[in-house]
Amino acid sequence: MISANLPYFVFAVLFLIGLLGALLETNLIKIGIAIDVMESAANMFIIVLGYRNGGYIPVKFLMPEGVTNFVLPTPQALTLTAIVIALATSALMLSLIVMLYRHYGTLDVREIRRLRG
Amino acid sequence: MNLMNHLPALALAVPLLAAFATPLVAAISPKARNIWVTCVSALVSLIVFGILYRVLTMGTQIYVMGAPSWNISLPSGFAIPVRIILEVDAFNALVAFIASLSALAGAVYGLKFVRKFTGLEFYSALYFLLTAGTLGMIMTGDLFNFFVFLEISSVASFGLIAFWRDRPEAVEASYKYMLVSQLAAQLVLVALAFIYGRYGVLNMAAFSTVVQPDLISKVVLVFLLVALAMKCGSFPMHMWMPDAYAEAPASVTVLLVAMSQASLVVLCRFCFSIYGTAMGTAVIPWTLIVLGCASMFGGVSMAVVQHEVKRLMGYHSVSQVGYMLTAFGVGLLALGDKTAMDGFGLTAVAGGIYHMINYILYKGLLFLCAGALYMAAGSRDLDKMGGLARKMPVTSALFLIAAAAISGLPPFNGFVSKWMIYESVYAVHPILMVVALVSSVLTLASFVKVYQTAFLGPERPQFAETHEVPRAMIAGMCVLAVAILVLSLFPSWTVNTLVRPAAEALVNKASYGAAVMGGAL
Amino acid sequence: MFSSVFSGAGFWDAGVWLLMFVFVGGYAFGIRRMGRSDYKKGTDQDEVYYSGNVMPDVDVFTVPASSSYWGFREALKGYYSRLSAMHTGIATEYVGWFVLTAAVILVLVIV
Repeated sequence: MISANLPYFVFAVLFLIGLLGALLETNLIKIGIAIDVMESAANMFIIVLGYRNGGYIPVKFLMPEGVTNFVLPTPQALTLTAIVIALATSALMLSLIVMLYRHYGTLDVREIRRLRG
Repeated sequence: MNLMNHLPALALAVPLLAAFATPLVAAISPKARNIWVTCVSALVSLIVFGILYRVLTMGTQIYVMGAPSWNISLPSGFAIPVRIILEVDAFNALVAFIASLSALAGAVYGLKFVRKFTGLEFYSALYFLLTAGTLGMIMTGDLFNFFVFLEISSVASFGLIAFWRDRPEAVEASYKYMLVSQLAAQLVLVALAFIYGRYGVLNMAAFSTVVQPDLISKVVLVFLLVALAMKCGSFPMHMWMPDAYAEAPASVTVLLVAMSQASLVVLCRFCFSIYGTAMGTAVIPWTLIVLGCASMFGGVSMAVVQHEVKRLMGYHSVSQVGYMLTAFGVGLLALGDKTAMDGFGLTAVAGGIYHMINYILYKGLLFLCAGALYMAAGSRDLDKMGGLARKMPVTSALFLIAAAAISGLPPFNGFVSKWMIYESVYAVHPILMVVALVSSVLTLASFVKVYQTAFLGPERPQFAETHEVPRAMIAGMCVLAVAILVLSLFPSWTVNTLVRPAAEALVNKASYGAAVMGGAL
Repeated sequence: MFSSVFSGAGFWDAGVWLLMFVFVGGYAFGIRRMGRSDYKKGTDQDEVYYSGNVMPDVDVFTVPASSSYWGFREALKGYYSRLSAMHTGIATEYVGWFVLTAAVILVLVIV
């Protein structure tokens, strides 16, 4: 059971690493990296869901004749979209970090708290 | 080709295309950009009004993207829908129309309000993207499409909150909002992956026909509920809301309010139309009620002690969302039980929906008036303002309307929706009604404080040259004020024609599924 | 269009409320008109009553927003000190509240 579900355990470990990074890190860039790890874990999870044992690629004209066993194409489309979204948000997060450094002079998240109370 | 059939797709396509065409139009001249922004926003409102009219007269509308015809949801030989389907019923259409009105008001207001930087065509482009994302979140019938529109509107809002980038607080607010929002989006993605892995469907209506109350479905509902409740701003996860609402330009805040209500629309979709009686646990309705009560009281008690105008209003947003969460939680509690539903459940859901549309309108008007105060007084700190009613009579009159509506004073629309919520919530437990009433009193107290310190009082010498704000800003505020007055003076028409069909469409899980699946379950 | 909204226990009618507002407003205005207008401006009949204290000598006499509702805030001092301490402003703590809420609700639903 462990070897069959190994990808799901890896996903869980990666997602928790990203989550703990976002919670416990104090450097802004490390928090950005942790969010990126979380997004990659979620994308990996979607891809793994589509896998079928011994399946071919889901492209009709590249499959040999008479084959009906292929991996699901829908998760691949979902993951492509999710990867692009993760890329856009990581880029925006890094540019916000650059602007925060210019304004505050520090990358420590405990110092960047002018809005409180 | 009957254009009326394609309105849902047009409502999403027009703002998206306009967003990318705005820099080209703005290269002609700034006046061309202003005319373009106004015309496209008015066109979007008109399209969504057409959708609302069609839904109220002809029932739930669906639109299948990419099919040979607009309503082939199940192609021949398929048992599940395979394309992205937009499903608009009375609930969606009503909230989408009010959201498009607030987008129009914010766009017209922003013509003269946002003047500090030169890249204003990118501001308008992001504004249209945020409008498209909000309308897409409200009208979609597909789970992954909802995730895509959630991210579109989130990324556009990150850019717009940090728009005044010479203020360090604006960039800080945008970063904090981005952090929590990304985490919520990843939780939503993982939940959608769970749904796909377990059931194999990605369409909301198809999912509603196959969902069973097992462990995975409950975990999915918890993830989606926490992520969407955070986007609405419910209590423990609300701390980004006053920061982001205060630092964004006022015209953007109006659309952020609409976006938070779009997340609440999808939350209600999941709880009522998709899960409904297959929820299998009474913990979820009570969670909504507890989060709602905590938001109501915590939000307004933090608001009373603030002295910066927009931060105060941001905390009030938390409190108002608490009203809606409590109302929907009470409606969920009554869901399987016919006598409870007729007694207080349907009134609770109708009160929650009416409060949603009232909230978008009066909160938008409040933020626009706060922006006018910022423009006139040069600062958002209430300690530095005073006596502005002599210089800005129109703004103070509109602020009075909005403040009376949010406090629940008769005869405004806030009173009617809060009264419906009080009466239905009392039937579950009287303590809920007590919390709601105390929050209303504290809301009135804090708005009396804002009105008195900002507008009333003796004339201050530093405001001797202040004058009324430009006409474009007044026009934007009047759009919302007219909508508030219409909803206030004709409450029974509103409740019978707009709100009750929306409530009945929301709780009717079978008709939501049948609109796409064709009734053959 | 102008009818009332009925709930299980009562009704709300905006027209009736406005009519009542006009009547009560007219009555209040009538009482105001019964007042005297023959006071002497500039003497001590025109002074502000400041609860028996001496009026401070400033140009502009206002109550700033930060000092309003002082009694309310003093009475709820314990509650407010805890609530304000919760709103620290540190970004990772926002994430922490989110994860905490998700964990609590997940445990309550599954168990």
